[in-house]
Amino acid sequence: MKTTYRVDFAEELKKCVRCGECRSNCPIFAESKREPDSPRGRLALVKLLQDGKIQASAELSEKLYGCLLCKTCAVNCPSGVITDEIMVGVRDYLDDALDKSIVKKALLKGFLTRPALLQASFSLVKLYQKTGLNSVLTRSKLIEHLPETMSAGAKILPDVSKQPARGRIPEIVKPYGEKRFRVAYFLGCATNLIYPDVAVAGVDVLARHGCEVITPAVKCCGMPHLAYGDTATAVQLAKNNMKVLLSAQVDAVVTDCSSCSATLAESYQKLFEPGSEEYNQAGELSSKVYDLNKFLVEKTGVHPGPNPVNVSVTYHDPCHLKRGQNVFKQPRELLKAIPGVEFREMKEADRCCGSAGSFSIMHHELSMKVLERKISNIVNAKAEVVATSCPTCTMQLSYGLINHGLPGQVVHPVQLLAKTYEEN
Amino acid sequence: MAEKSQLVNDMEALLGQDKVISSKLERYTYTYDSSFLSQLNDFYPDVVVCPMNTEEVQKIMRYAYKHDIPVTPRGAGSGQTGGSVAIKGGVVLDLSGWTDIVEIDESNMQVVVRPGIVHADLNVALSPYGLFFPPDPGSSKMATIGGMVGNNASGLRAVKFGNTGQYVLGLEVVLPDGEVMKTGGLHSRALKSVSGINLTSLYVGSEGTLGVITQIRLKVLPKPPARGILLTLFSSLDDAAATVLEVFKNGIIPSGIEILDDSGIKAANKFQPDLKLPEAEAALFFEINGSKAAVDFEGQQVKEIAEKRAIVVEWATDVQRMAKLWQGRAVIGAASARVKEGATRIFCGEDVCFPMARVPEALRRIKEIGEKHNTLVVIYGHIGDGNMHTAPIIDPLKPEEVEAAHRVADDIHQLALELEGSTTGEHGVGFTRSQYMVEEHGKALEIMRIIKDAIDPKGIMNPGKIWVER
Repeated sequence: MKTTYRVDFAEELKKCVRCGECRSNCPIFAESKREPDSPRGRLALVKLLQDGKIQASAELSEKLYGCLLCKTCAVNCPSGVITDEIMVGVRDYLDDALDKSIVKKALLKGFLTRPALLQASFSLVKLYQKTGLNSVLTRSKLIEHLPETMSAGAKILPDVSKQPARGRIPEIVKPYGEKRFRVAYFLGCATNLIYPDVAVAGVDVLARHGCEVITPAVKCCGMPHLAYGDTATAVQLAKNNMKVLLSAQVDAVVTDCSSCSATLAESYQKLFEPGSEEYNQAGELSSKVYDLNKFLVEKTGVHPGPNPVNVSVTYHDPCHLKRGQNVFKQPRELLKAIPGVEFREMKEADRCCGSAGSFSIMHHELSMKVLERKISNIVNAKAEVVATSCPTCTMQLSYGLINHGLPGQVVHPVQLLAKTYEEN
Repeated sequence: MAEKSQLVNDMEALLGQDKVISSKLERYTYTYDSSFLSQLNDFYPDVVVCPMNTEEVQKIMRYAYKHDIPVTPRGAGSGQTGGSVAIKGGVVLDLSGWTDIVEIDESNMQVVVRPGIVHADLNVALSPYGLFFPPDPGSSKMATIGGMVGNNASGLRAVKFGNTGQYVLGLEVVLPDGEVMKTGGLHSRALKSVSGINLTSLYVGSEGTLGVITQIRLKVLPKPPARGILLTLFSSLDDAAATVLEVFKNGIIPSGIEILDDSGIKAANKFQPDLKLPEAEAALFFEINGSKAAVDFEGQQVKEIAEKRAIVVEWATDVQRMAKLWQGRAVIGAASARVKEGATRIFCGEDVCFPMARVPEALRRIKEIGEKHNTLVVIYGHIGDGNMHTAPIIDPLKPEEVEAAHRVADDIHQLALELEGSTTGEHGVGFTRSQYMVEEHGKALEIMRIIKDAIDPKGIMNPGKIWVER
């Protein structure tokens, strides 16, 4: 199977000995209990495709899009099968191999017929429209089908009518005191439009930690495109972002969004041939990319302000941060360094919340089942605030809390840190 | 979409569409288990059904009996002999979604479960009561209790706690004609019973050939309050074997005694680099459990015995270190492929059992078999009861390596018989060992067949397993 996203299907697939260990940790299988919904089952289907025993089809596409790409199976696989990467690769293949209308049909199955689902997806769709990041949706003709009444559901979801972060953050923010680092803040689409306060807090906190912060005019990191097999667009986005970020002459590229940092640091290299100029650029960029929590804990040290934030906090690990980048201690260290914060670990903190970008739209019912378990763990942690480091996790967790009539608030750790500098 | 068969339509009418898996694509995911042979063949079931109560299983069996349709019960499909693969087509019963714990009878120390519950989940549920179900397959996180009963599984703690069968007090079974039978007494909660011929024991290890097990009453034990693990490394296999023997002779029965050979040690290090096992010919993991005083005392005794011959000895009682050590051993089955770049581990000839006294001889002979066929074989297993796991490491994309692996597996099975052992200590026969059954059992296999024919006269229950089809 020829794909742009580099996966050696034959070599990777033969590693799977079908032991079934992945059945024990896949959040989707935990809900469905059916082998076709297990990582092992999906891998077996990709192997059939690779062996030429079946052709690409809408049914196959639907099965392979049923994966959250949460990496839980991959990091726990005794044989080292990189199932999530294989899924991204095969989606790339399917995007080329299938008549697009078949892909659309598979993707949209069960979506257009459910008003609740449409309501739930409203904010994300609106975000996509506003960002011009609508190629996936345009290709799938989703936008054409959105009824106007959808806005009723938007009340329970984040307000995307806030002023975007880009208009609120100066192009260059000078450090408070002596300059220690020059940092590019990678402003992700969802943060910019849905949670602009996170970026405003993030930039301010970095400046307070001796950073000169620039916020370059980047485009989408490309994660949604990769997840939906649109590798051609992801390649264009990667080229643009690498050019912008590498010419910015910065010590580090920092982002509050775990999907953005995972894509910039890990996925770009998979899009180009080893040895090519772009591949080398991706490698150079990768070495500069930092999750915001990690940068503050490891590079600047955390220096909170004088005002305590008297609140109990639990933390949800985004999949792409913990399993994708091995960043899980740093957000906790940051939270525990904030005066007044009482940290309460939740059970299964690193279990996927079911959001997975737009998975919650395309597979809404399954996504909600996965979310149920997360909400239950949050409730049991008895914390007033949930912190996490991913805007789509934030959206999903907020949705879950509101749906359960729970008062909890979902924030990025840096927002709590920022409060310590605020005058009461 | 292909037109649905009459069988699929009828199953949907009996159970509802949501419990029937019919598309060819989805059915493919039921053509395999971990066995290499199942992966070389495409044994499609004609339909997969997911019953969630006894009545549904009865409906399926009545239908299958009437229409002479093969039925193959399946748990997690983590078996290694093709036991849960429908090699004659027909219906696969996916019981892995039926995970209920019917009752935890704390005061009588027993638990009643449905077949799909996973071993590790059962022990999590028992833990608040201070109880546990002792047999521990390395596949604890995926193996279902139904599958463990069907194969009389055991694993890492069999040396002290025995196999699954020793804990099964009674079963509810849907017979091939759809009738329901209870073994072990209709209303019994007795921990012992010699009332009548022991049908429970007949069904344990029968691999789904005599009916569908729909409920299991298990004896459980008080969870030992303390545990320790002694890691030892030896420069010779004989030293390792001699140490095990001396431990037993001192009256100590550890809850587990596990061995890794030199390549197993390498694989464990590759999977968990922080294990940092030094190079050696053999590593032994002794697990001691019981009261804290007993664990401390016996742990010290085993340590002193090991120190006479071992080159490295580490006694661990720290929870995290123990978990790491035990996991390093538990996942070696799948992780053993990591010793050779571009290769994978296959499951064939993988659980032969030797008499204790002949284990060192057996391990040397297995290495020779590997060399003879130019195939790397990683060896690990339960040296405490002679049950060895042999893992051929090959590139499955190279036909000559696949062919060599088949010869390795055949030679290993023959070796087990030659050394007065068994072709399978805990994984079962399935269809991958049926060719050895005549040689292993002689007349006894004929009697097994007579029993099978009496209970399943139409031969619809998991056909093609245990016996080579006539």
